[in-house]
Amino acid sequence: MTSLVYMFKEAFNNLGRNALVVLGAILAVFISLTLTFGTLVFGEVVRVNTLQWAEDVRVIAFLQDDMTAEATAELQNTVADWPQVADVSYVSKQGAFDEALILFSNNEAMLRVLEENPDLLPASLRVQPVDPEDYDRIVIQLESTPGVDRVESAGDAIDAMIALRDGLQLMFWLLAVALGVAAVALIANTIHMAIYARREEIEIMRLVGASNWFVRTPFLIEGALEGLIGGALAVTFIVIAQQLAVDRLSQLPDWINLAIQNDFILRQGALVLLFGVAAGLVGSSLSLAVHRTLRS
Amino acid sequence: MIKLENVTKVYLGNTVAVKDVNLEISKGEFVFLVGASGSGKSTLIRLIMREEPPTNGDLWIAGKHASELPSWKVPYLRRSIGTVFQDFKLLPTKTVYENVAFAMEVTAKHRSVIRNQVPQVLKLVGLSDKADRLPRQLSGGEQQRVAIARAFVNRPLILLADEPTGNLDPATSVGIMRILDRINRTGTTVVMATHDHAIVDAMQRRVVELDRGRVSRDESRGIYETRRPEVVPEAVPVEATEESAPGDDVGEELAALVDEATEETLSDAIDHNRETDTVLETTSDDAESSNEEAASK
Repeated sequence: MTSLVYMFKEAFNNLGRNALVVLGAILAVFISLTLTFGTLVFGEVVRVNTLQWAEDVRVIAFLQDDMTAEATAELQNTVADWPQVADVSYVSKQGAFDEALILFSNNEAMLRVLEENPDLLPASLRVQPVDPEDYDRIVIQLESTPGVDRVESAGDAIDAMIALRDGLQLMFWLLAVALGVAAVALIANTIHMAIYARREEIEIMRLVGASNWFVRTPFLIEGALEGLIGGALAVTFIVIAQQLAVDRLSQLPDWINLAIQNDFILRQGALVLLFGVAAGLVGSSLSLAVHRTLRS
Repeated sequence: MIKLENVTKVYLGNTVAVKDVNLEISKGEFVFLVGASGSGKSTLIRLIMREEPPTNGDLWIAGKHASELPSWKVPYLRRSIGTVFQDFKLLPTKTVYENVAFAMEVTAKHRSVIRNQVPQVLKLVGLSDKADRLPRQLSGGEQQRVAIARAFVNRPLILLADEPTGNLDPATSVGIMRILDRINRTGTTVVMATHDHAIVDAMQRRVVELDRGRVSRDESRGIYETRRPEVVPEAVPVEATEESAPGDDVGEELAALVDEATEETLSDAIDHNRETDTVLETTSDDAESSNEEAASK
């Protein structure tokens, strides 16, 4: 117990002795983990939002005007049986007309055209894929199906959204990894300097028979603390930034939702803190392994 | 207590520092290691404290086969060895008390034990009244006494001293030798590497001479040089220093040490002095008074 108190006391003393270098290491961990945690949070926001889009996506198959009610029902059943299709709904010519009246309620000219030609809009099948990314296969299949006049889909927008998410995530991860390595190196350097500053003390400790762990543990604790503080700052920063974004960006379109479940923040935040501690331990272990003063 | 069998130490570049050394030092002995610079004295000290392993040969320290000891066990071996160096190796930011207590703190001794032992050892070396001073506020002799207190506070079985009087004037050296002698009388084996003719000649303890890494002489009551026995004991080549008052005779002080050693044989000392605390009580009074003498000079 006395030893543990001594080790923690020494670790905190070391933090104070090399304040500037320690600050540098903590900032490196902070920036690295902010990017890491930011990437996780951004990924979650995109996932939630693309999910909403994906649920709304419809591949629309406009039907030929000469389709009988029986043929239309048979076609709807056939498409519903396709494994990549989650749901199929039928929108009649009347339904399409009613929808258009709502969509173009502000467009007088369009409304006039619709009233003059109530049969203008075709009936359609609206298809919801099981996996949003499978929309293109459904489109190809529908285009070769008898009774289908033409096919339209909202898939391109989804593609663009997913590509943007993947691109940004890759970039953020690369930056986070590079900065993570820098943070580990900076922690290793801080510990290296702390060992150098205390080399006389360590020499005497070894002379009088202090065990290897007794000599090394304060430096491991110091590294872990630097990682933990950097990680805690990163989690705090991202949580505050996300809250501010939710509060300030209220004028965003309804379909963009920046709010994130607390569960996610707690789970991923704890992981980020653990990663900070691990980075600190790796950094200090590296330094302890190579420093001449500590070699037996 | 210490046994070396055919011990050889070769450094990088094939520099042979110690070659085929066979040496046995019993519990409670006081041994001087003498020899020219580069003869291997310090290497021998480093081997005994397992600062480095021998290249060849076997080494037993305090009942342990030290040459075969894995490096993680070396710290535990060191707890039975106290070390004193020419340059004191004190921590400049710690007080006398803290420097001595440090040796106990880092071997995880309980606070109450530290509080009990440190004042006793400071009393032994005559520095009770300077416990709060920093090393820079002490003279060289006092700093060496702190180093001895630190080396002895964990009650080691062996005390290794590498040129402990090398930086000190003859008068101060006498004080240091008095303390080492007292520690030896508690049953602690003392091995001291030195160039100090006067001390070796006056004390007349076992002398092991090294020459180019080999043991060239091993005498149970020896002097510094074999070829000049006439220097003992009257012709102790010690000059009075600025610190010494006129008429102060360092030679007499050293001769007194010889007398003390002969008055009480080593074996008797080991027998009744192993209960260290009792010894500390009795000897510390002497140290206090010798300290006061030194201060009054």
